[in-house]
Amino acid sequence: MLEQAVIYTFVAFVLIGGGLAAFSRQILYAIIGLGISLLGLAGLFLNLGSPFVAAMQVLIYIGGITVAIVFAMMLSIAMSIRPPDPDARKLGFAIACAVIFFGAVAHLIRGAQFQQIASPASEKAWSVGALGHALLTHYNVVFETLSLVLLLAIIGAILIARKALPKENS
Amino acid sequence: MTLESYLLVGAALFSLGLIGALSHRNLIAVLIGIELMMNAASLNLMAFNRFVVTDPTTGQIFVLIIIGLAAAEVAIFLSIILRIYRAYHDIDAEKLTKLSG
Repeated sequence: MLEQAVIYTFVAFVLIGGGLAAFSRQILYAIIGLGISLLGLAGLFLNLGSPFVAAMQVLIYIGGITVAIVFAMMLSIAMSIRPPDPDARKLGFAIACAVIFFGAVAHLIRGAQFQQIASPASEKAWSVGALGHALLTHYNVVFETLSLVLLLAIIGAILIARKALPKENS
Repeated sequence: MTLESYLLVGAALFSLGLIGALSHRNLIAVLIGIELMMNAASLNLMAFNRFVVTDPTTGQIFVLIIIGLAAAEVAIFLSIILRIYRAYHDIDAEKLTKLSG
């Protein structure tokens, strides 16, 4: 009973935060909504049996990405102070797209037959140790590729965002 | 909660992200919508991992990869936003029409 209440609280976090992020015209409120939504999602991951992924969600998404977006908002402040007038036609189009998508996916989910396993795998298979072992043996290539992608993203971000050197101005 | 209800929550979150990405003119708000959509995908993967897959490390590694790629994507996106702001003094998606012909 209590467990159900906690899960539904997390679901409410996800949906209310997502709504705030999607409909708010003030960009700071949208970022706060994103943070609330990600926090609820971390709770759902915890409930789905993976404390490690939930911790990474909080650390990287809420602690890193959300804060980086706040910094970008502060560095490009003009539009965040004066949000443009809402465009009813654009909003209507977006809501129509979303409703069609949700209806189609909900219909698919209702009709689908999933081969569900009888009971969840043992605690040991979910542990951080098992995850680390899999990352360094079976999924080694994926792990290395991801680190390479992150390195390239850092170098690319620095190259794109730096101020032009004086000799490039001529 | 059953697998179906998790999938419905994921679909709802994806729809909210779609609204955010399509309806806003501020590039940062578009980025927030895209982040919501990626997280909806993560939620779906974790739900399938719990209810369908026999080896539960697979889905967790998928989600970790999504988180890592999202971090890389955000870094690039934000540096592009800074560059656009320096060139146009605005980040309104509808004013970036230099290439529209």
